[in-house]
Amino acid sequence: MSMSAELLLVFFLLCAAGVAASVVAPARSGPTALAVIGAAAAIALLATGAVLMGVEPGFRLELWSMLFGGTMALAADRLSAVLMLGAGLVFLPVSIFSATYLRKYAGHCDLRYFGVCYFVMFAAIVLVFIAGDALSFLAAWEVMSISSYLLVTYDLDREGSAYGGFVMLALGEAGTIAVTIAFILMVIASGSLQFGDWRAVSPHLTEGVAWAVFILSFAGFAVKAGLVPVNSWLPLAHPVAPTNVSALLSAVIVNLGIYGIIRVNLDLVPVHGAVPGLIVLVVGSVSALIGILYATIQSDMKRLLAHSTIENMGIVAAGIGATMIFLASNQPVIAAIALIAALYHLINHAVYKALLFVGTGAVEAGAGSRDLDLLGGLVRAMPWTSAFVLVGVLAISALPPLNGFVSEWLTLQTLLRSAVLSSTAIKIIFALCGVLIALTAGLAVTCFAKVYAMGFLGVSRSAGAADAAEVGWGVRSPLAFLAVFCVLLGILPTYVIPVIDRVAYPLTHASALPALVPPFFLPQAQQAENLPPAFLAEFHDLGAQTGEGMLPGRGLVVLHRGQASNPVVFAMSTSYMVVALAVLLGLVFLVFRLLTLGRRTVRGRAWDGGLRRLWPSLTYTATGFSNPVRVIFHAVLRPTTIEDSTEAVATHFRTAIRLDHADVPIIDRLVLRPPMSGLRWLAELVRRMHVGYVNAYAGYVLLTMLVVLVIGLAILR
Amino acid sequence: MPDLPDGADNLARAVALREVCKTRWGGRFVPAPATTSGHERLRCHSSEVCDLCAWLVQDVGYIFATLVAEERMEDGVTLTYVFQQDSSGSWLDVDVLLDPHERSVPSISPLVHAADWHEREVEDLFGLHFEGHPRLGEFVLHEDWPEGVNPMRRDFDPARALEHRDEQAAWAAPTIVTAPGAFAMPVGPVFSDFAESAQFLLETVGEDVIHTIPRFFYKYRGIEKIAEGQSTGRVLLIAERFSGTAAFAHGLGFCQAVEAILHCEVPRRARALRTLFAELERLRHHAAAITAICGSTALAVANSQAALIEEELLRLSGTVTGHRYLFGLVVPGGLARDLADEHRPLLQAAIGDAAGKLNALYDMLCVSSSFLDRLEEVGVVTAEKAMEYGLVGPVARASGSNRDMRARFPYAGYDTAKPMIPTEHEGDGYARLRVLFREAEQSAALIHAVLEALPDGAIATEPDRTRAGAALGTVEAPLGAAFHWVRLGESGLVERYRVTPPSFTNWHGFHLAAENFAFQDFPIILASFGLSNAECDR
Amino acid sequence: MAGWVIKGARTGIRSSAYPAGPETAIGVSPGMPGDTAVDSPSDAEGLASLCPTGAMTAHDVSVVVDRGRCVHCFRCAQDARMPAVAWDPGFEWATYTDAYQALHAAFSRSLHIRFVDAGACGACMSEARQVNNPYYNMHRLGFFITPTPRNADILLVAGPVSDAMRDPLRKTYAAMPPPKRVVAIGACAISGGVFGPSYASAAGVKDIIPVDVIVPGCPPPPLAILHGLLLVAGRKPPAPRSSLAARADGRPE
Repeated sequence: MSMSAELLLVFFLLCAAGVAASVVAPARSGPTALAVIGAAAAIALLATGAVLMGVEPGFRLELWSMLFGGTMALAADRLSAVLMLGAGLVFLPVSIFSATYLRKYAGHCDLRYFGVCYFVMFAAIVLVFIAGDALSFLAAWEVMSISSYLLVTYDLDREGSAYGGFVMLALGEAGTIAVTIAFILMVIASGSLQFGDWRAVSPHLTEGVAWAVFILSFAGFAVKAGLVPVNSWLPLAHPVAPTNVSALLSAVIVNLGIYGIIRVNLDLVPVHGAVPGLIVLVVGSVSALIGILYATIQSDMKRLLAHSTIENMGIVAAGIGATMIFLASNQPVIAAIALIAALYHLINHAVYKALLFVGTGAVEAGAGSRDLDLLGGLVRAMPWTSAFVLVGVLAISALPPLNGFVSEWLTLQTLLRSAVLSSTAIKIIFALCGVLIALTAGLAVTCFAKVYAMGFLGVSRSAGAADAAEVGWGVRSPLAFLAVFCVLLGILPTYVIPVIDRVAYPLTHASALPALVPPFFLPQAQQAENLPPAFLAEFHDLGAQTGEGMLPGRGLVVLHRGQASNPVVFAMSTSYMVVALAVLLGLVFLVFRLLTLGRRTVRGRAWDGGLRRLWPSLTYTATGFSNPVRVIFHAVLRPTTIEDSTEAVATHFRTAIRLDHADVPIIDRLVLRPPMSGLRWLAELVRRMHVGYVNAYAGYVLLTMLVVLVIGLAILR
Repeated sequence: MPDLPDGADNLARAVALREVCKTRWGGRFVPAPATTSGHERLRCHSSEVCDLCAWLVQDVGYIFATLVAEERMEDGVTLTYVFQQDSSGSWLDVDVLLDPHERSVPSISPLVHAADWHEREVEDLFGLHFEGHPRLGEFVLHEDWPEGVNPMRRDFDPARALEHRDEQAAWAAPTIVTAPGAFAMPVGPVFSDFAESAQFLLETVGEDVIHTIPRFFYKYRGIEKIAEGQSTGRVLLIAERFSGTAAFAHGLGFCQAVEAILHCEVPRRARALRTLFAELERLRHHAAAITAICGSTALAVANSQAALIEEELLRLSGTVTGHRYLFGLVVPGGLARDLADEHRPLLQAAIGDAAGKLNALYDMLCVSSSFLDRLEEVGVVTAEKAMEYGLVGPVARASGSNRDMRARFPYAGYDTAKPMIPTEHEGDGYARLRVLFREAEQSAALIHAVLEALPDGAIATEPDRTRAGAALGTVEAPLGAAFHWVRLGESGLVERYRVTPPSFTNWHGFHLAAENFAFQDFPIILASFGLSNAECDR
Repeated sequence: MAGWVIKGARTGIRSSAYPAGPETAIGVSPGMPGDTAVDSPSDAEGLASLCPTGAMTAHDVSVVVDRGRCVHCFRCAQDARMPAVAWDPGFEWATYTDAYQALHAAFSRSLHIRFVDAGACGACMSEARQVNNPYYNMHRLGFFITPTPRNADILLVAGPVSDAMRDPLRKTYAAMPPPKRVVAIGACAISGGVFGPSYASAAGVKDIIPVDVIVPGCPPPPLAILHGLLLVAGRKPPAPRSSLAARADGRPE
């Protein structure tokens, strides 16, 4: 067995140990056992991913043969590896966080049940990444779906738990059915269950089958990825799920959907033509905008983060769509850049979203609420949590030099590369999608400025927030771990991109490395890649080679090197930026200190217009902060009135005005509700059959048999 | 007005009222002799005041004017509910005498909403409890005022400095809006520009204001208390200066009350000149209000143009009367200074000039769509609400009311120089602006008319200062009807001075306009009401 | 909108010649009684007794006026039985208090003003607002209104300081960064005027926060307020004290 396979075996053994430990461990030490074994498993997974990425390009293990379609197999490649790395990066801190978090369930929920589901889900997720045939893929997928459903509905006492879980399961299963049909079509076309055989037949598929496979698999995987119009489960499942499960849902489970899209539609059965790519691009861009729009108007932090997941998955999907289109237009290098951007964003999102969910858990533990309307002023009581969450907020707002900026910037830049395409119609769609993504980026800043300003700054708006206490290192350490990765992924893109490039290369058949990370540090590579001297000289003057000889890697500048006529399409360096920022801030600080030398600093209260005191009820709430967005996008949001009432004494003395509006997500309104009401109508019709007489039911049985007979006869003919 | 004959003289009305009272109420109320200022009087027990007031307002067509509470040495608190009837030009006082130990009265506010703030004020200042009033306390006296200290009581020493309670940690904004994320946006008491001190809590969920809670009396200077025991000359200084932008009107209101008590006949020339100066003040006041409206919509040139007119009128006032705000001009018995003959042509020319400039400004404003967009359908007060809240002045006249003291209860020279009362019906900011312009035009016309027929003669008579008594002086101040109720003692000193300024009446209805609007409309609604806190808070 | 531009341009420049030259328009100031020499001590007593606010005090054969108490009631000027009072038709009445310290010259042409209404009657506010109108136009002299006390150099206060405005006034003053100067405008802000001291108002701003410059008048006309501001900026001298006043209080002129 190869080293990676051995490491993976260790991982699965640890998962099995986790299941066993969960069953036998006493309730008191259950969370600790889960944390230790979960973290160990995550480390094993990270090691597997690292080995696959660095040493071995992949492995294939034949398990046992089946009656039909060859043998059941496990196969890992670098696409699996990057997803494993992403999952490991999230599972490690979340497992540690769980040790503290799960204690709140001790006593009224069965922790053994949680532990078993947790490790089964973990193992199933990894199995999905390494499934080498349709059967093992679908089996792993189902186990993952069901175990994650069980985890989401773990706390059944929570309001909406049953409904949220049901929508998640129902939509997920609908998605599985779509994927299964797509797989059946491929099995029929190729005569094999093996993914390897599908690759071989995919160029020879008929147009109809190719389209059917694309539509069905994309629709099926889009459910898990939380793309419109099948995203409704995300904002319902997240608020009811335990916070550690929410983190896994948003940071790992949704990635499986993206993995499915890449695996099936880029690797196994690559799409033909530009139209499928356009569909993915448009779905992604619209998801991004709708996601952030609903995120901005939420005040429940978990619901807000759930909507923001839809947004981020939309950005990833837009990158994948762009990859497909550039591939179809024979632009493999730009396609590779787009795919790198998408995968980079996938990892980044996993890291900062896990950070923000764990941060939400910390806030909930410290201040007793995760409703932004009831928080405020936590920066004083919870300085550590606030600092780590600030990193996450800056990262998700795509502000440099953090990781969200790098991948979102790359995605936007590739969308702007539509100039190389020939079709005007596609260019226009690219431009519109670029606009949607840019608007999304802008709203994201509003949204997360609100999270930080309303949650952590200002006046505490509830007793819980006023008496908030900092969380222990059991929660702070996972936050710190994730925050460090947010920073590292942000300031070292030139080290991350070569790694992801290895994933993209087999799919796009072109390396983006020479175009994206020019070897400013390596003279021999400059000659090998034939970099023009003029180009090098220009960047030499700017100091791009600074660190040459001392630093490993190719350089610290991310740029897109185009043709001779247009040598640099775009360029940036968060690595240098962070140095420049530090120097500038240091200078400002120094100058400030020099100017104020020997002066006394007077601290005063915020100017409040001469109020006697600034009561919390007189300060802005999160809802108030985002209400302008609600007003501007009223036509999209169309809130429904729950309550509008006015009470008065003697006509003129009003004593109460009550207003309550609910936002029905536009997707639910337009996509989910009509078929649901149709189904309900149908069910109503069917219900009439149930008259309660035995004779009638005997009649139905007879009728059914008759119909079956007729159909059977017809087929035999 | 079904019960009483229209246009009957005082005696006939008194007889008629007595008859109606007898038939309707079976003689439960005692019609008392008319007051010094010719008001009919009914005396009733506190338990019957609700029935009587509701009947007067709802059936007989009286309008609530003011509530005067008075604590005299010998007996308990007397409450005088003053009603006016515009159709007949008559007044009716309902007197309620409380026993010295009686501290509770039924509230008429649920039936007569215009009395709402009057009762709240008496509750704060006299410590009387109005049973059935849904919102008492923390009105004139804010939350840090010592409990149980009622400044208008006889036993309160106005010279004594107060000890304040500690900051009220338990205080909560009196919000009534329940909505997810609702909060109250505080504005004031210190504003960001030249604005009077007041506070508004705008209840909102962001962007749109659902409900406005005004908190006034930051400028309460207790003029009614500090006037007690002072000479009329001293109180006149206070009457002129509690609201400097309407100094002449309030000075006149006070002097008319004193003249009524002292049975003093004002010479014809003084009466004509009082009309002239009152209209000059109104013209200047409205120019200032128009300046404020233009400023609130950030229409810079219009703001400057209106400010130029305002300053020119201030200079004109300074030139012809000696004081830019007409201070020290009116005295009991007439005027302190005459209009010099050489100033008549100057006045005529300058008034004509100002009216012309205002007209030109109006013509330009009416075609500035960006300006109109911000005023039209903003801050609407319906005619019905204006009536129920008893609103007065330009605000009421923009909502279809034609209430105006000058026309209904003529004083000074308004019996001969009759004003035309402009009314508008939309009740929005634009209607209020139009009323201001048209009233300014009317004021200029009245000044011209007075100048045309200015009688010669003395400008003052020396009143006979030996009389005592109480009387109500009413004037139409620039912002609306003002009521000055004065009681002079045997020594000639003021025993009770009660002012009901138009701003007090109209701020009560301000919240009607300040509802369901966007944040950025608030300064415009405020400016289009153009009310004064100095006048309201006293 | 072009109409407004043309209208504004056609109106031309209306700004007062003050402080570079004298103001020639009439009606810009109500004037104020000045220190008056009379024939006999009894005349002085009689004249001083006409003043309802105690602004006039008799000193032997002269009457000295405390400008900070005068409320322009004109009663001293209207009584035919009394000797004529020396009427001062000007407006440069502003003067320092004892607490005043000069501002650095760097401030002389850019001063930011925060206004607080501490129970003013409206006339002082109206006149303060006029300082901003085209006739007086304080911007040309480097005075600006700022919306927050954090940016303010000068606190302009009108009114006797009503009870409820004590705290807001203190807070506004505390919120201003040093160097800061307080200008009290109007008789009420200087001495309580006809209102204070009483249970509801203080006897002027000095009871609450230190005052640097006072601008007498009831209300002080815009040019007087402008003079007060120029005084803070160090660009105009304070109102001179008459020889009568100097003799009365025994201090040199």
